[in-house]
Amino acid sequence: MQAVLEGLLYIQGDIGLTLQQVMDIFEIDEDEAKNLVLNLKNYYEQENRGLRINYLGNTFKLTTKSEHRNYYQKLIENPKTHLLSSQALETLAIIAYNEPITRNQIDEIRGVDSSYVIRRILAKGLIKECGRDDSAGRPILYKTTDEFLDYFGLATKDDLPKIDSLEEEDTSKTLNDLYQSKYSESN
Amino acid sequence: MDYNVKIEEFEGPLDLLLHLIKQSNIDIYDISILEITNQYLDYINKMEELNINVASSYLVMASELMEIKSKSLLPQDKKDNIEEDDEEVSREKLINKLLEYKKYKELTPTLKELELKRKDIYIKPPEIQTNYVDTIKNNDDVTIDDLLQAFRSFLDRKEQEKPLLTKITNKEYSVKKRKANIKEILLAKKRIEFSELFDTVNKPYVIVTFISILEMVKEDTINLKQDKNFDKILLELKVK
Repeated sequence: MQAVLEGLLYIQGDIGLTLQQVMDIFEIDEDEAKNLVLNLKNYYEQENRGLRINYLGNTFKLTTKSEHRNYYQKLIENPKTHLLSSQALETLAIIAYNEPITRNQIDEIRGVDSSYVIRRILAKGLIKECGRDDSAGRPILYKTTDEFLDYFGLATKDDLPKIDSLEEEDTSKTLNDLYQSKYSESN
Repeated sequence: MDYNVKIEEFEGPLDLLLHLIKQSNIDIYDISILEITNQYLDYINKMEELNINVASSYLVMASELMEIKSKSLLPQDKKDNIEEDDEEVSREKLINKLLEYKKYKELTPTLKELELKRKDIYIKPPEIQTNYVDTIKNNDDVTIDDLLQAFRSFLDRKEQEKPLLTKITNKEYSVKKRKANIKEILLAKKRIEFSELFDTVNKPYVIVTFISILEMVKEDTINLKQDKNFDKILLELKVK
C-alpha cells in the first residue's frame, strides 16, 4: 500500500492527495489513512530521501526539500520568481482572517479601493467567490482557497499566524454568546 | 522638515497615517488630531507640489481629518455636549480603524516570509493521465472555479512552452510611405478598387491605409467614385 501511495503522490504532483482520496482509493478509514501517509512520510525521512511528503493546502504533496534549494537554483538559469505585491499580501491577510468577506468590507479596512487587487488574487486562484452577502445589493463574498494555503506553505487554516487582538475579539464574542444564552435562559 | 515623498510606498491613506504616527513616535491611542491633521495635509500638499497625482482616497481622508479638527477647534458650548462627544467619537473611530489596519499591515512581512520559504520547495505538475481515460468524464458539479483553474493551468503550461528569450519587433507603417505606395499603384493601374488596398489584414496596416486614402482625398490627389449605394468604391488619380 505504501508503494501505491508513493506512486499516487508522484502522479498527482502539485494537485496532491486529500485524506479523503486516500481513504476512498484504499477503502480504509480515516485513522488508517492517516497512518499510511504518516508511515510513508517517516520512511522518507529515515531513508534520507531527496523528496519529502508535505501537507500543504489541505492536501498531501510530494515535494523537494527546502534545504536543497541552493542546488536547484544552480540548475535553473532564470531564478526570477514572481512575488505578490504588499497590496495583495495585505488584502489576502484581511480576507483570510475575516472570511467570508465582501469587497466593501475589505475597502473599509484598507481605506482604499481594492477591486483591482481582488481581481488579481482571484485570477491567481488564491481566493474565490463563495456566495453572496444578504446585505443591500447582495455583494459577492470572498474566501481564501487551498491554493492560498499552499502558496504560503501552510497545511490548514489553523497554521495561519495568530493575531493577538483577533483572539481578544473572539473571546469577547464567546463571552457575549454566553451572556446571551444566559439571558435567553432566564427568559 | 525634510520630506522624502514617495507615494508608491503607501498602500493608502491609512498606511500614510500610520507612517506619520510612527515617525513622530507617538502611541496611536495618544494621537492628537490637530497635529496629525497638519502633518497629513503638509504631506498631501507636498505631493501636489511635486505634481504627484494624489489618489482621491487620500483626499477623502484629508477632509475627514479636517472635519474632526474643525470640530475640536470650535468653542465648546457647555449646553452642546453632543458636539463634543461627536468629536471624541470620530477620533476613536479613526483610532480603531488605524488599529484594525495596522493589525493586517504588520502581518504582511510574516506572509512575505512564508511566501519566500514556500518558494524553496518544488512540486512537479501532475502526470498527464490521458492513457487511462476512455471517455471524457463530465461531472455535473463543475463550478466556475474549476473552469478558472483549468484556464490557469492552461496558461501556466503555455508559459512553459515559451522560449526563454524573445525579441518583439513591431513592423511600423507610415502614412507617408503608404501614400506614395498607393500613388504608385494608381499610376500603374489607373483605377483600383477600394478593397484591393487592404491586402494585408492587420490593424495598423488597415488603419494606415485608410488614413492615407483620406489624406489623399483631402489633398485632392485622388478621386473616389461609387455609382450607387453599397457598390464598389473606385479610386483613381486626379488628372491635373
